[in-house]
This record gives sequence, structure tokens and C-alpha cells, in this order.
Amino acid sequence: MSTLTSMRNARGSGRSGQLIGTLSVLAVVLLAWQFLPTALGTPSYVVPVLSDVLNALFDPEAFPRYLSNAGATMTEVLLGLGIGVALGLALAVTLAQLPRVYGVVFPYIVAIESIPKVAVAPLFVIWFGFGLPSKVVVVVLLAFFPVLVNTIHGLRSVDKDQIDLFRVNGASPLQLRMRLMIPAALPQIFSGLELAVANSMIGAIVAEFVGAQEGLGVLILQAQGRMETAAVFALLIILSALGIALNVLVRTVRKVVVNWEGR
Amino acid sequence: MTISPIVELEQLGKVYPTRTGDVTALTDVDLRIDDGEFVAIVGPSGCGKTTLLKILAGLEQHTSGVGTLGGRELGSGAADVGMVFQKATLLPWQDVRSNVLLPVSLQRRPSKADRAAADELLEMVGLTDFASKRPHELSGGMQQRAAICRALVHEPSMLLMDEPFGALDAMTRDLLNVEVNRIWRETHKTVVLITHSIPEAVFLAQRVIVMSPRPGRIVDQVEVPFGPERTLELLGTPEFGALCSTIRRHFEKEAAA
Ligand SMILES: Nc1ncnc2c1ncn2[C@@H]1O[C@H](COP(=O)(O)OP(=O)(O)OP(=O)(O)O)[C@@H](O)[C@H]1O
Ligand SMILES: [Mg+2]
Repeated sequence: MSTLTSMRNARGSGRSGQLIGTLSVLAVVLLAWQFLPTALGTPSYVVPVLSDVLNALFDPEAFPRYLSNAGATMTEVLLGLGIGVALGLALAVTLAQLPRVYGVVFPYIVAIESIPKVAVAPLFVIWFGFGLPSKVVVVVLLAFFPVLVNTIHGLRSVDKDQIDLFRVNGASPLQLRMRLMIPAALPQIFSGLELAVANSMIGAIVAEFVGAQEGLGVLILQAQGRMETAAVFALLIILSALGIALNVLVRTVRKVVVNWEGR
Repeated sequence: MTISPIVELEQLGKVYPTRTGDVTALTDVDLRIDDGEFVAIVGPSGCGKTTLLKILAGLEQHTSGVGTLGGRELGSGAADVGMVFQKATLLPWQDVRSNVLLPVSLQRRPSKADRAAADELLEMVGLTDFASKRPHELSGGMQQRAAICRALVHEPSMLLMDEPFGALDAMTRDLLNVEVNRIWRETHKTVVLITHSIPEAVFLAQRVIVMSPRPGRIVDQVEVPFGPERTLELLGTPEFGALCSTIRRHFEKEAAA
């Protein structure tokens, strides 16, 4: 019992030690950011010091604009992510049941997987205009593939004996899918989801760069046009925070749902 | 008292069509297993032992001959069997009790009586305290015990085991063998056990079926003269050793040929 407790303590202090290390790195970076540009004589339009960036970020006039545009970007991200993930899951489950069709379609999936899909963003702006739809379509495309590929992989690597176990006990095709295949594929499905989240942010911003009326991407381009480097940094901070928040959310859900992974 | 056969196979054969041509896994298998009997099947790797078990379980179709299980023609739907695999194949997202109840819960919502049956089986193999744990919290031997409970919970007419202890260490294996012998005596189930271990086959079975390498055929059936209750002392007796060598000689012949 006492060894168990001490082991737990050791692991706990290891974890808090890690946290201290991570925070120290952050502190060093922030300090360098505040003092190094001035010390090196770097002009503020190249690298503005931290306090200028924070001033730009919390500028009472700009901040509400940042928030509403962040809202626009997140609408694109979440809509596209939702649709892309749903489509990816649905197609993966369908293809896993149709090995012949899968064999025919697979080369195309690999081909499309390996092209940089953000490059089609300009085309989508031509097709769907400067509003929300073109951004959502780009995000859908980028979120769809990692979910599709990872889910198919997860469904196909389900243990053959476990499938036999279900068959010998008279499981229906629906039971086989819902009670074995999908739960067994959950770890891979979540890996796909994590990739999809990262991709969605990229997709939304690039699509906004190409042509949009609102969103963080638009604000970044505007700030760049006015050479307001501090504002660009401020917007990048908002963007990063949103990306990190989404990622943490997915990982937390994963830990709760896939609670047998022990990680 | 007449003993009725639960399994009857006549000239049973199985050919797998593959891309590189047909693979004959089994030919001319004639086998009769009595209700309540404990039969072990031994044979070199690839001789069709798993194939034979899967045909009995209704997971594969035979391609020639005829066979019945419990009076029903083989190949007419899922068989009334419980199956234990080399790996425990427990579902990691369910606790041990839900895993044991799987064969029931695939058919209906488990009743109080079903749950009680599962708990009784878990008690029989000493897993009462682990009923609410997840499989990964159990050792390999404990997982395999749970898998045996799962194979018995729906009261199948027959228990099929495919190298159930192949992945376990020798000591755990001996203990589980004693347990399987006790389970068999307590439940009166018909058991078909596939194993690579001749001593394990002789220790557990009333009859050892010896198969030849490809194409798989039954080359000998050895009656084991020991009583139903087997203890580990049996392993050291000369009779036990002699019987093992008799069976082993089949494989030496095959290897020499
Ligand atoms: N699904 C399949 N398709 C094609 N050939 C198969 C298939 N399953 C088994 N075989 C072939 O049938 C033969 C018998 O296989 P089986 O798995 O029944 O052997 P086994 O006696 O269980 O072997 P082991 O002791 O290694 O488990 C082998 O030659 C194998 O390659
Ligand atoms: Mg086998």
C-alpha cells in the first residue's frame, strides 16, 4: 500500500515538475519577446514587443471586432467540421461493409489524400462566392479525409476472432457494427478527429485569405495591408488560442469516451 | 443407458478457394462425439484443426460430406455452441460481467437470472471480485477464465476451445487445466479442445483425436483410460507418459516420412 502511494506521489511530482518546466519555457519566451527586439534594435513593424501586441489585442475599439470575426471563423470551422466528420464517418462505415467497392475507390482516396486540398480554395470561391458556403466547403473537404481514412483503418483492423465471437453468438449485422466495429475503431476515429480539427482551422483561414468578407483571416490580411504587425500578432494569438481550445476539447472527449486506452 | 451422439461427421471435407488455387484443409473426416464427452484434437500446424472447429461452430461451410450437430444439419445457421479462442477477445470497453453476458445480450436484454448465472460462473473460476473490472485490469490467465465463463453463460450444448491456453505460461496453464476439468465435471458439457500440447490433450480428454498434416485427416483416435477427475499428480505417472509417447510417435512418423 505504502509503495503504491509513494509511486503515485512520484508520478504526481513528475507531472507537476513537467508543468513547471513547460511554464518556465513559456516565461523565457515571453520575456525574450518583450526585451529582445528592443535590445537587438529590431524595428517594431518586423517584431513588435509583447506589450505592444497585448495592447493591440485588448484595444477596446478593436477587441469587439476581433471577437465577432473570430465568431465568423469558428462558425465556418464548426459547421465544416460537423459536416465533414459526419460524412467521413458515414462513408467509412459504408465502405467497410462493401469490400469490393472499397477496393475500387481506395486508389482515389489515396490520391485525393495526397494532394494539398487547400489549393482548391480559389476554385470554391469562384463556385460558391465570398460568403460562408465556400469556406464551409473547404473545411468539409479538409476535415472529411482524415476521418474517413482513420475510421476505415480502424474498422478494418478489428480482431477477426472478435468478429467470429459475435457471429457465433448470432449477432445481427447492426449489432456487429454498433457493438463491435465502431467501439473498437473509436481510438482511430478520434485520431482522425484530432487531425480534422487542426485541418479545419487551416482550411477556414486559407479560404478567408482567398476571398471573404469577414473572419480572422480577413482581419489578418487587413492588418498586414496597413503594416500593423502588432495587430497581426494579436490575431495570431486569438487563432492559436481557438485552435488549442478545440484540440483540448477533442482530447478530453477522447479520454472520457475511449476510457480503456489508459493514456 | 444409451449415449446419444451430439456430433456426427461423415466424409466431411473442406476446400478453401484462394487466388493461388484451391487449398484442401480437410478430407474424409469421420467423427462421432457423444453428448457430454471431452474430446481433444491434436495435430501439426496447418492441418485444419481450426477449420474443423469453425465448421462445427457454423463459422465456415464444409464443401463435401455431411455432418450434424445436436441433430441439426451443419451449415444451417448459427450453432448452439460456446467458443473460446486463443486470445481472450474480451471487449475492452465493457466490464467483465458485461463481457461474460455478451452471448445473452446479443439475443435479449439480460434478466436478473442471466446476471446471476454470470456471477455464478465468475464465482466458479474465482473472479467474483473482478466482475466490475475492465479486462485490462486482469492478468492473461484471468482474462481467459472470463472468456470461458462467456462461452458457458448461454448454456450451449457444446464448448469449443481453440488453443485456449496457448498464450499462457506453463504454471497458469496447469492451473487452468485443472479448472477446465472441474468445469467439465460440474456442467456435463460436451467439450472439443484443440491444443498443440499432447500432455494437455491427454490430461483433459477422454479421447484424443490425432490429425495428419495437409490435407487434414483423422489418423488415430486414442481412448484415455483415466477417470473423469484429473489431478496434477496424474502428469507424473508412467501411464500418462506412455500415452503421451504413443501419440507423439504419430508425429515422429510424419516428420520422418
Ligand atoms: N480463410 C482461409 N482461406 C484460405 N485458406 C485457409 C483459410 N483458413 C485456413 N486456410 C488454410 O487451411 C489450412 C488449415 O488451416 P487451419 O487454420 O484450420 O489449421 P490449424 O490446424 O488450425 O493450424 P494451427 O495449428 O497453426 O492453428 C491451412 O493450410 C491454411 O492455410
Ligand atoms: Mg488453428
